[in-house]
Amino acid sequence: MTTTLDTTRFGAFGGTFAPETLMAPLFELEREWKRWTADADFRAELASLLQHFAGRPTALTHARRLSRELGLELWLKREDLLHTGAHKLNNTLGQCLLAQRMGKSRVVAETGAGQHGVATATACALLGLDCVVYMGAVDAARQRMNLLRMELLGARVRVVEHGQRTLKDAINEAMRAWVGDPTETHYALGSALGPHPFPSIVAGFQQVIGEEARKDFLARTGRLPDAVVACVGGGSNAIGIFRAFVPDASVALVGVEAGGEGVGKGQQHAARFAGGEPGVLHGCYTYLLQDDDGQIRPTHSISAGLDYPAVGPEHAMLHDEKRARYSWATDAEALRGFEALAKGEGILCALESAHAVGWVLREREALSGQHVLVNLSGRGDKDLETIASLRGPEREGA
Amino acid sequence: MSAVDKLELRLRALRATGRKGIAPYLTAGDGGSDVTLAVLRELADQDVPCVELGLPFSDPIADGPLLQAANDRALAAGTTFEEVLEILSRFRRGGRGELGRDLPVIVMSYSNPLVRRGWGNAVRALARAGADGLLVADLPIEEAGAMSSAARMAGIAPIFFVAPTTSEQRMTTAIQMSRGFVYAIGRLGVTGARTELDDAAQAFLARVRQVAGGLPVGVGFGISNASEVGAALKHADLAIVGSAFVEHVHQAVSQAAPPRRLDAARVAAREFLQVLSGGLPA
Ligand SMILES: Cc1ncc(COP(=O)(O)O)c(C=O)c1O
Repeated sequence: MTTTLDTTRFGAFGGTFAPETLMAPLFELEREWKRWTADADFRAELASLLQHFAGRPTALTHARRLSRELGLELWLKREDLLHTGAHKLNNTLGQCLLAQRMGKSRVVAETGAGQHGVATATACALLGLDCVVYMGAVDAARQRMNLLRMELLGARVRVVEHGQRTLKDAINEAMRAWVGDPTETHYALGSALGPHPFPSIVAGFQQVIGEEARKDFLARTGRLPDAVVACVGGGSNAIGIFRAFVPDASVALVGVEAGGEGVGKGQQHAARFAGGEPGVLHGCYTYLLQDDDGQIRPTHSISAGLDYPAVGPEHAMLHDEKRARYSWATDAEALRGFEALAKGEGILCALESAHAVGWVLREREALSGQHVLVNLSGRGDKDLETIASLRGPEREGA
Repeated sequence: MSAVDKLELRLRALRATGRKGIAPYLTAGDGGSDVTLAVLRELADQDVPCVELGLPFSDPIADGPLLQAANDRALAAGTTFEEVLEILSRFRRGGRGELGRDLPVIVMSYSNPLVRRGWGNAVRALARAGADGLLVADLPIEEAGAMSSAARMAGIAPIFFVAPTTSEQRMTTAIQMSRGFVYAIGRLGVTGARTELDDAAQAFLARVRQVAGGLPVGVGFGISNASEVGAALKHADLAIVGSAFVEHVHQAVSQAAPPRRLDAARVAAREFLQVLSGGLPA
């Protein structure tokens, strides 16, 4: 068979399961991405934006009080301190700069928690690109402030009213928008998933997290961490920090998925490795939550950013190779993680990131005495309404 | 005679006599299995050259709002893979002296419902139930090795898409890998969005026609009335009508009193086909 696309897979996973109308745009994207990421001027401009606009490098914080309390050494990679409040900006600056070099005038994106939408709107405002963000109606309601932020940044937000009305449906719509106008439009996918070359593009722009963290950790402690822990939605912040440590066999890599109500039968969650099997969604072959008939199953998570039925294909490979292990934290455990970090360290983290912290709290005995590095993918401002509503009306205005 | 031979013979014969045809698309289970079966039987009576039967999927990324809604309705009605097989085999068994046995049926699916069963199992089951061809919306030629060989072994026709943005080389490969016909996407975008086939689209269809040689060419995406059928058939053999057909039948069925639903579906299918036939070359 003739193929012009190097269908890059991660082991058995990934691929390009895309409608024919997307193939030419995907080929173009792959070609241009390879060209520009090898270009010295492009790299210098991106590095400069990451430093002087976004605020890289981000801090590495030793969580002193929690470490003492838990009986382990807890370190935090502070992507919450990045401009716009999450790691998503690393990717959108890269992709929007690429879109500009490719001569595109418009960028479309999907968003779940709203962080990728805000980061895309921000990069578009910075670079003078037109921006349209698709957001599920459920997420638009629970992440109202991010919707407003996107609009204030000049983006048009299209609320998606069908399907489950969350991230999955927003991706469906963004892909459809891209199919309709691939010449003028770039689709800035927000996580390390989708058809090739997206998983590689996004991971490539996010791996700066792990490169900085590894270097700083070595410099500060003279050693490598025993474990690197990150929450996994589509998997971009996790792959961003994991990649630098994959060759370090002594470092355990732990991805924490959304355990929702719990991962038992009849409970709703988004733990693809606990309850899913390989299949094809949104252009790639990976672990999915699906029913016996191959229909995508509804998911639930307290955090919009982890509420997605598929996981990025590179994680599927790391899982099957047993290089990384994947666990989960329930909504309740994430909230405990959020609270511990707030009261113990003075950091309000995103509910997504709180899953990684919640996992550490649960596994504290197994981790006793170890050096644990958690990727704090984002800050919690966007989640205050969700948390306020959980605390009940009697607390509001009290 | 294998299903591939049957499909090819029928479409090549159409082409050889200079006739052209309309190939309707319907989502299996939209309105319930009995409605799907009634429409299939009507289309067999109307002697269309072939029909596309959509296997419903929860996340149809290549489809516009009308077909998304049809997929959702079919799933909400409980349409499973087994149910689609059942519709097909009931149709093939015929009944009441109908012509159902001969109408070629192309199953149109997304990858995951078939990957879930394994390509070999899924394709064999479809062939056994009476499918003649298979079209997978999110399976480009680069990923189609397993599907192609499963289709070859099961004796049904793999059909691939070409689009205005498809390179010469990939178009040649897609045509070589297709049996029965090749599916030309008339314009960019999802199914259902309406646009005239402009000069650029006609130039594309002429190019497909040329590369396809003797292989029939079907055109779809956005054809919704007689004049669009006429434009599509300038260079192609089949005008594939999806969203407009599905919506037309759906409106008729949902407005009919329950005991009249099957009749309403058949009448709507027949009448809409007649309207579209106004675009067929004389
Ligand atoms: C703060 C934060 N962390 C994590 C995620 C999950 O995405 P990913 O798995 O791609 O890092 C999101 C997604 O919106 C997010 O906003």
